[in-house]
Amino acid sequence: MTTMTQFRWFWAWDDEKEENWLREMSLKGWHFQSVSLPGFYRFEQGEPKDIVYRLDYLTNTKDKPDYLQLFLDVGWAYKGEMNGWQYFSKEAVDGEAPEIFSDPESKVKKYAYLMLRLGFFLPLYIVIASNPRPGYEFVSLIWTVLLFFFIYAQFRLLMRVKGLRRKL
Amino acid sequence: MATNIEKYLPLTESTAYTLLALVEPLHGYAIMQKVEALSQGTVKLGPGTLYGAFTTLEQEGLITKVAEVDRRKTYALTEKGRQVLKEHIRRVELMAKIGTFTRAW
Repeated sequence: MTTMTQFRWFWAWDDEKEENWLREMSLKGWHFQSVSLPGFYRFEQGEPKDIVYRLDYLTNTKDKPDYLQLFLDVGWAYKGEMNGWQYFSKEAVDGEAPEIFSDPESKVKKYAYLMLRLGFFLPLYIVIASNPRPGYEFVSLIWTVLLFFFIYAQFRLLMRVKGLRRKL
Repeated sequence: MATNIEKYLPLTESTAYTLLALVEPLHGYAIMQKVEALSQGTVKLGPGTLYGAFTTLEQEGLITKVAEVDRRKTYALTEKGRQVLKEHIRRVELMAKIGTFTRAW
């Protein structure tokens, strides 16, 4: 059983790119097993197959078994999670890629939830960045950079939501 | 009662079909199958979509969990859920009556 680990970085708003990349790997015969550390994907070699991967974002672990059972009941395999991201796989039938969201509105909810969780920390960052301790201004600089990154991340997620809404 | 349920309407197609399916208590997979059958194949609820619908509908007090067997929760309509569905159907029926002329198109 040949395995390999590959490093690739995907931002939260590029989850569709991540899904496509994992599918391409399966078409080449490398099937996604898990991602334990952010960016480190483990693959197992096998027959090239058209396997589709879908990512959901869930942090509520209370109902996790029931949540997973919904997917399993319709033929999805669970590949584990990473920082709240849930990985599912299912073989494509006649080239048609199965989806876990049947309408764009629920797809939008995934990103809206992400934005909410990200945005939760924004006020904290603003406060920390604008109140540097004397002699520790560089720390404030780091927080300011983080702050701008989070604003950028919110912007990218918002664009994703807008893009999906246009299809509604 | 009418003003109380206003805020839950209009329903999305997915949530409307979910409520319709729950005229009898069912669990997730059974709901997916029933909705596909009821809609004659036009609405196939995805698991991510259905889970989101469950979360929202339960939060809004339109459905409630009545049982749990083998990691499958069975949901049923609450009284408020019944009223919301009833009002949704009333509106849809009204529009359908007004719109029968489109059959000629």
